[in-house]
Amino acid sequence: MELLLQQLTDGIAWGALYGALALSLVLVYRASGIVNFAQGEMAMFSAFGSWQFYQWGLPLITAISVSMALAFIAGMLIERTLIRPLANSSHLTLIIITLGIMLVINAGAAWIWGHDARLYPVISEGDPVSIWTAVISRQALTIVGAVVLVALLLYVLFQHTRTGLHIRAAVSNSVSARLLAIPVNRMLALSWGLAAAIGALVASLAAPQLVLQPSMFSATLIYAFAAAILGGLTSPIGALVGGLIVGISENLAGTYLPGIGNDFKQAIALAIIMAVLFLRPEGLFGTREVVRV
Amino acid sequence: MNILTKLRQDQPPLQAPKWIVFGVGLAVLTYLAYSPLISAPYINFERSMVMIYLVVGLGLNLLTGYTGQISLGHGAFFALGAYLAAITTGKLGWHYAIAFPLVAVMSWFLGYFVGRPALRLQGLQLALVTLALALVTPSIIKRFDTFTKGQEGLNLNTAHPPTWIGLERDQWTYYLCLLFVVIALLLTHRLATGRVGRSLMAIRDNEPVAATLGVRAATVKTQIFALSTAFAGVAGVLYAYVVQFVAPDAFGLTLAIAFITLIVVGGLGSTFGTIFGALFVVYVPNLTSEISESAAGLSYGVALVLFMFILPFGIISFVRLGLTPLVARLPKLTSDKNN
Repeated sequence: MELLLQQLTDGIAWGALYGALALSLVLVYRASGIVNFAQGEMAMFSAFGSWQFYQWGLPLITAISVSMALAFIAGMLIERTLIRPLANSSHLTLIIITLGIMLVINAGAAWIWGHDARLYPVISEGDPVSIWTAVISRQALTIVGAVVLVALLLYVLFQHTRTGLHIRAAVSNSVSARLLAIPVNRMLALSWGLAAAIGALVASLAAPQLVLQPSMFSATLIYAFAAAILGGLTSPIGALVGGLIVGISENLAGTYLPGIGNDFKQAIALAIIMAVLFLRPEGLFGTREVVRV
Repeated sequence: MNILTKLRQDQPPLQAPKWIVFGVGLAVLTYLAYSPLISAPYINFERSMVMIYLVVGLGLNLLTGYTGQISLGHGAFFALGAYLAAITTGKLGWHYAIAFPLVAVMSWFLGYFVGRPALRLQGLQLALVTLALALVTPSIIKRFDTFTKGQEGLNLNTAHPPTWIGLERDQWTYYLCLLFVVIALLLTHRLATGRVGRSLMAIRDNEPVAATLGVRAATVKTQIFALSTAFAGVAGVLYAYVVQFVAPDAFGLTLAIAFITLIVVGGLGSTFGTIFGALFVVYVPNLTSEISESAAGLSYGVALVLFMFILPFGIISFVRLGLTPLVARLPKLTSDKNN
């Protein structure tokens, strides 16, 4: 029972991280109709950025904020320069481009900062908090809190502001939105910027745990994909719920299923991805796509 | 016309007269057959690696370039081939030649049964599933560490040349690679230029229309997927014999991306373009590794983005653009004119 509770707590802590990454995948998917394979690497690069600012003497919170702002701009620039010019070409083209961006960012980070793992400072120090019999580190609690806060802010942005309304209009029907004088292109770029900024935040918060290095997301990214697909790729809430489900099931399977172990847990993500795509491609919260010939 | 817009267009294949096709083919083959006898072992090794990538690339190009179905998971079948070869020759002590038909058949069937459901997915979804497969491959290998020795990897000492032939091992494996490259090239070329090739391109360009014209899309796609995985598997066997060592981390995402880079750089939907891609993925990292260790990944990434923007049909379209006026001026034999 104690073990179960502990695994559930860990699952929620990891799930929040997967959910946040999945959230940025979803924002990009809604804007451009593609899964940005470079999302994890962009987040990793931003985490390195905030680490660098911290090394240069900025307080940690300021460093992370500056890095988020830069990530926001970089995300918009990537959309503007590399994605939009070819937005009307096939999936294959855009997939190849995001794979290329992924490689460039990964190799760039390794070139600048090297392959060695760096120590990243935690925001909230102190003893782990105990919830009943389970314990959770303060940093993990901070991540969960930050993800909840981001989700609330996004909810307010999308549902209660004019900009959010414009983004939703641009995403759901760009032709009509253009006729209503909504700056569609700017809204799509904004989605990319938001996605990159969210990635920068969670990567900086998770860096102490994941260990800051160019390959920090190589093992985590697959869970974020699983979470986004489980949630339905078009639904922000779905991404967060998907993240929690993936985080919890991955932890429980690693502990209770014989023969899974720590290394093989990634296969759970593969199984989730395949099961969802074959059985219910629209995921838990997504909209079913209808193809017109 | 602007040169940049011209480069972005798909160029028609060169209509070279038959005598020059056979002449050039024979000359290249003669050179490739003679050169290992007078080259250093590391040069034979590099050329063998080019040919191994070429075999994978030919299959993958049939699937991705001609049929438009992206797969990032062919590294898994490559790994299957490499490990089956390592285990059957090492642990079981079988003759190394048995691994080729064994792996070809096994990868074909596995590819068929994976491809049948997977190819119901389209574009992005297929890319996601196969990417997930590529990410998981190393941990699957480590999971079965009773056979694969996990992280430690397996050493091979096999594929020795027959004693009467008097060749070194690196030369012998080079000839093995050359044999399979020639088979793969001829097979791919025959498939791509005939009725099958046309139905593949029809599926890529518009699947519903292809279906109305009588192309059984699901069957054709699955068979091409199976064929390309068989190519990848056989290339994996060659890899095991050439490198003489297999370890899980060689078969991760990096390998999958090298395969994609290979067909993008060479030319999506061009059999002979794949040759340029194979040369690129082997020799460019060698060149750039002198600058920095990360430069290999950087060069692949920059190549992927740049080629999509400037040369979406790969180096081959550049070659075709340059050679078309030359080929048009070549004299033709009378037998060609009738065709």
